[in-house]
Amino acid sequence: MTVLEQTRAPRSEAARRRRSPLGSRWTPYVFLAPAAAFIILFQGVPLAQEIYLSFTRTSLLNPTRSTWVGLENYAHIFGDDDFRRTLRTTLVYVVACVAGSVGSGLLVALLLNRNFRGRGIARALVTVPWAAPGIAVALIATWMLNPQYGIVNRFLNAIGLGVPGGTILDSPTYALPAILVTTIWQLFPLTSVVLLSALQAVPKDLTEAATMDGAGRWWTFRAVTWQVIKPTVGLLALLMTIWSIRRFELIWLMTKGGPVGSTETLVIDLYAQAFDSKQLGTAAAIGMVGVVISLIVIAGSRLVARGAAKEGLR
Amino acid sequence: MRKPRVRRATVAAATVVGLAAVVSTGCGSDSGSGSGSDGGVTTLTFAASTFGDPGRGPQLQEWIDEFNASQDEIRVEAASVPYPTFGQTVLTQMGGGEGPDLVRFDMPEFEAASDAGLIAPLDDLIDVSEYDLLEQPDQFMVHDDVRHGIIFEASNYAMFYNADLIPEPPTTYDAFFETAQALTSGDVFGLAFRQTEAEEAGVWQDIFNYVYGFGGAWSDGENLTINSPENLEGLQAYKDLYDANVIPRGADAATFRRMFAEGKVAMELNNGGYATHLRAESPDLNFNVAPIPFPERSQGAILAPIVINEASSAKDEAATFIQWALEPENQVSLQEILGASSVATATERTPESLQELPFLPTFDELTDSSLPQIVLGFEAQTPDIRKIVVQNVIAALQGTVDLQTALDTAQEQATELVG
Repeated sequence: MTVLEQTRAPRSEAARRRRSPLGSRWTPYVFLAPAAAFIILFQGVPLAQEIYLSFTRTSLLNPTRSTWVGLENYAHIFGDDDFRRTLRTTLVYVVACVAGSVGSGLLVALLLNRNFRGRGIARALVTVPWAAPGIAVALIATWMLNPQYGIVNRFLNAIGLGVPGGTILDSPTYALPAILVTTIWQLFPLTSVVLLSALQAVPKDLTEAATMDGAGRWWTFRAVTWQVIKPTVGLLALLMTIWSIRRFELIWLMTKGGPVGSTETLVIDLYAQAFDSKQLGTAAAIGMVGVVISLIVIAGSRLVARGAAKEGLR
Repeated sequence: MRKPRVRRATVAAATVVGLAAVVSTGCGSDSGSGSGSDGGVTTLTFAASTFGDPGRGPQLQEWIDEFNASQDEIRVEAASVPYPTFGQTVLTQMGGGEGPDLVRFDMPEFEAASDAGLIAPLDDLIDVSEYDLLEQPDQFMVHDDVRHGIIFEASNYAMFYNADLIPEPPTTYDAFFETAQALTSGDVFGLAFRQTEAEEAGVWQDIFNYVYGFGGAWSDGENLTINSPENLEGLQAYKDLYDANVIPRGADAATFRRMFAEGKVAMELNNGGYATHLRAESPDLNFNVAPIPFPERSQGAILAPIVINEASSAKDEAATFIQWALEPENQVSLQEILGASSVATATERTPESLQELPFLPTFDELTDSSLPQIVLGFEAQTPDIRKIVVQNVIAALQGTVDLQTALDTAQEQATELVG
């Protein structure tokens, strides 16, 4: 009897689950269906179209009349010196943005994590650049860098470091650094706020124990604090990398990729090909290069994270 | 046992219906242009960047209102699209089989749209023999014996100068250079022109005057001549002025035009449309206009055709509006609004206009020597050639390469582009 009850019980439980509206084995699919449909329709279909477009010669003026050209668009862009320069500029921009925003964010977070008068106000003020819309930031920066009226030129001239002619954004040497400073200025509040919350999760007893063991500030940071905030830094670096590859409005509004292509990143080149030159096929091929780079970055970060996790288990 | 099967079917049906709803929402937009019919009245959309011009936009709206009041079957609605993105916005719409019914294009975009078959041929819609069209600008409206546009505005380039700073305008390039140098001091500059890549279309318009003014040309009609000696000479003159620091470097057109209005820029090469703008925005500014003092009397002109979108479902109605615009009294009204620009037909200036803008004859006399800012023989590829030329000229301005090398590179790249 007892055995019979024991064997029947699961069967009746399974039957109850099947009858329950939430117990059907289809239930997860029902819940996932809207999100899956959205992704397939608004990301999957456009991505498939982009892949197809990248193998065609298609004009924006006649998008329905396209010609299959195989790998011609890819051969064209990889054989083009300008595109190789664009890749280099993208790499420099992304690495500098990630290093600059995470580095400065960490410094600010360490400062804001200390006790001092007005800390609350300082923490609130730090978030202001992040709260400002990208377009507003670009316009403010452009105005500040204006060779006639801009405060930056006046300051640089006053301390004897003025750029000849004052045309920072028109100089192939200074335009990219100017854009980088503006980008980092906009990004560092986010990284600092996120890292500040990670710093607050560092157990006090561990840092105190390290101090009591004679570890200096640097060693305490390296052996204790860094180990706790490392996953957050990794996540921020990944996000900043993806965002930096995709960033458009700030660069477009400040320089449109110029002068002489010195600030042209992948997305700027893509936009120029699609809407200035009206070559949708070439633009799609550039877009696919961007997609592949993003996938490599994500895969790389996952490998690094997995390696770190394994190391932690040992 | 049946219940789950019913539920599965319901779930599947709901999913399919949901997907269909999403697809129909996402993909079910109307096709065709902006025209619509309501109660027997056909509404047309007319897109132009000039509708947003504070000096002329409100008057153009009144002019259109006159057409709307003249009959009760067609209504034209103005759509203002900002100049910097006008071509891109409207061409993208037209490429997708959408867009306004009537468009006022600039020449490079007109040529690109015409080449792509996005503009309706006008020969069967408008009998132009009824009108006294100005021959010089009108010749560019016809491609392979097919008419694609009617001149809406033709605006020649000339030299604007601050008459308080320059009592007598220079008449040679050397005098022009010396005047610019002499007047540059502190916050005041002798000259201003566009020289940044962010203003690619504007730089092209400005360097056009230097190239043609020194006897050059972008092509001979069959081959590109970007690196010809005459072009080099003209662009060297442009670069010399840049290197001499007589212009507010880095300032965009909006900034240096404000400086001109404030008396901080003494000279500027600009088209006739600017005169009306200046009068409206800076009524106290004492400025005058003279021909550009370069060796050759040849300069650029903004030719702005009005065209009918091939995708428009109301081409006849759109043609009716153009025919109304070509009527002599409406041409006079339009010319009054456009100021120093010309219109499609030969139109007398009124005494009031001549009193308000005494330099109007200067502009009118330049019509025969003015050329649209396109590459002749390569009209449809002008935007791409423009990009190549401007990038290389700016590289030379920035000192990355010397001017001859920059033009050689531009010639090579553009030749490869056009095949």
